[in-house]
Amino acid sequence: MEHHPSLLAQWLTQILHLARHAWPGFAHGEPLSVLERYDHLLNALLAALVAMAITTLVRKNLSRIPGPLQQVFEGVVEWVQGMIGDNIAHHGERYLPFIGTMALFVFFNNLFGLIPGLSPATSNWNVTLGAALVVFAYYNFHGMKEQGFGKYWAHFAGPIWWLMPLMFPLEILGLLSRILSHSLRLFGNIAGEHVVAGIFFGLMPLLLPVPMMVLGLFFGLIQTFVFTMLAVIYLSGAVSHEH
Amino acid sequence: MKKFLTTAFLFTLAAVAFAQGAPAAAPVAKSLFEGQFTAHIALAIAAAGCGLAQGKAVVAACEGVARNPQAAGNIRTTMIIGLALIEALVIYVLVAAFAIK
Repeated sequence: MEHHPSLLAQWLTQILHLARHAWPGFAHGEPLSVLERYDHLLNALLAALVAMAITTLVRKNLSRIPGPLQQVFEGVVEWVQGMIGDNIAHHGERYLPFIGTMALFVFFNNLFGLIPGLSPATSNWNVTLGAALVVFAYYNFHGMKEQGFGKYWAHFAGPIWWLMPLMFPLEILGLLSRILSHSLRLFGNIAGEHVVAGIFFGLMPLLLPVPMMVLGLFFGLIQTFVFTMLAVIYLSGAVSHEH
Repeated sequence: MKKFLTTAFLFTLAAVAFAQGAPAAAPVAKSLFEGQFTAHIALAIAAAGCGLAQGKAVVAACEGVARNPQAAGNIRTTMIIGLALIEALVIYVLVAAFAIK
């Protein structure tokens, strides 16, 4: 895949007079500055900072009579709470901070593709793979914490003991492939949407990309929902006790 | 819609690439089913199958909501998860199409 650094990275490169050089095995040896090479990190950092700034602002101005921003964020928290409550039977609220933070991070990153000059960090597989790996580590850790180490892994062996040599490798394979599907789904959707919007922009920059950007807004929301929902489902599968 | 546009775009790109590549590049004997062409055809097939499957899923969900409007919330959530899982297959092909270049 060709590398198209975001305009922000190119602009910062010019302002800061960063040196451009070829990166072996990347973008066919095209000369890029360090910011252009790692512009997904720049965008992810920016999205995270914006998310933190907005949430801190809401946190500081909490009031009994909620303003518009507080109402939006109350809606977000209730939505994540509802999602966790529907899927995790007992003490689901302890997972709210992690799931909510991840949902906000993914959401802000998805929407950053709509701002001209920025590219969504989630259109780079490294970012979504990181998110999926963190979710993977999180639900495995909590599964082992809730059920105990032995019981958690014995769960993968299936109920019939003589099928264990067959079931255990398959279940582990399924567990590991979750990382791939979880990360590739988000990456492919956002990257595809961004590429199509970019092509529309190339055809005619005025007004033509707007319908695609509206779709991008919608898909950004849907993909955030799907990513968060799947994380909650994996988590509920890991922590639920079988009675 | 998105997948249709993606597919249409990839085909356009293919036409442009072939048009530009033909006179400039040395005439290396290359199979038609090699490289980008394969990716585009694979994406078209995957998108077609995904469209049919998602259509079936949405039909079932709509029928469910029409019969029991109170279950709309649950059905919608389940439908979106199902659609995401179906869509993932096309996304794999899209990623493969990105990789073949």
